[in-house]
Amino acid sequence: MIPIRCISCGKAVSAYFDEYNTRIAEGEDPKLVLDDLGVTRYCCRRMLIAHVETW
Amino acid sequence: MVPDDLEVKEEEGSNMEIDVKSKNDNEIIFIIRDADFTFVNAIRRICMMEVPKVAIEDVHIVKNDSAMFDEVLAHRLGLVPLVSDAEATESLLLPEDCDCDDTCPRCTVSLVLKKKGPGVVYSKDLVSEDSKIKPVYDTIPLLKLKEDQEVELEATAQLGIGLDHAKWEPTTACAYKYYPEITIAETCDECQNCVEACPRGVLEFDQKTKEVKVVDVENCSMCKSCVRVCETKAIDIGYQEGNFIFLVETDGSVPPEEVLIKACDVLSKKADSVITFCEGGI
Repeated sequence: MIPIRCISCGKAVSAYFDEYNTRIAEGEDPKLVLDDLGVTRYCCRRMLIAHVETW
Repeated sequence: MVPDDLEVKEEEGSNMEIDVKSKNDNEIIFIIRDADFTFVNAIRRICMMEVPKVAIEDVHIVKNDSAMFDEVLAHRLGLVPLVSDAEATESLLLPEDCDCDDTCPRCTVSLVLKKKGPGVVYSKDLVSEDSKIKPVYDTIPLLKLKEDQEVELEATAQLGIGLDHAKWEPTTACAYKYYPEITIAETCDECQNCVEACPRGVLEFDQKTKEVKVVDVENCSMCKSCVRVCETKAIDIGYQEGNFIFLVETDGSVPPEEVLIKACDVLSKKADSVITFCEGGI
């Protein structure tokens, strides 16, 4: 499960998790998706980019 | 930097000006001019640590068949931002201001979560007894349930402050920086190294007038990359004493303007308690 908030700044990044995943699966560029979702800081961006859903 | 004369002028701080640079639902950027950094820092610290908001504090788990441990689930629930603007928290009291022994409906809000698998349980499945105090985002995944697994719990939300736990911090990014000042001396040999070195596109070379121009000072992070590459030492980065660029970003639970208003209330209450102490002491 993805952490609810960004570990560094506290932004609730998990709210964008499903949308991010579906848009990536459709072949969109992760950079553009994150910009569009308003995830601008690199601390928040790594939360979504580097997350591996294991169970 | 130590001020040249430490004597406090009569008019000092009284001509403070504020310009809003940009603003939306959960972020505000403004410029404060002619202010003291101690004052600006006090506002920043209170915004982060002493402005109350609502968050889940106690979780009573009736049933949890999922692979996630009860305490992990409770921690995740605590971090879910709940709407706590002035309108929603009007009648809610801080637990320490309430005269009840433990908890009562005047200082707590109850939320119920009941769901049967298979599927992902989202924050929208949290049903609140108060229609206004509810999760800010509906799409936060809380836990996963497999076939025939069930989760049933009652969560109690309370007002609290960031000093006690990060879940009660209304702000995410809350920071200020000095207003940058870029000076380019006449010794500039138009090598344009500084324009290339700047990671934020603050500088630009004007082909017509053959000189380096500052196009976006407020975006400058004062990293001094331009100063390091300048061989003639023509460029210098400084800051304007007393002018600040202030950013307040919230997690969506309280609008940023409201955070600032509440922070000023807390600060004036602190100042008032000093006054009453001094008057009582004399």
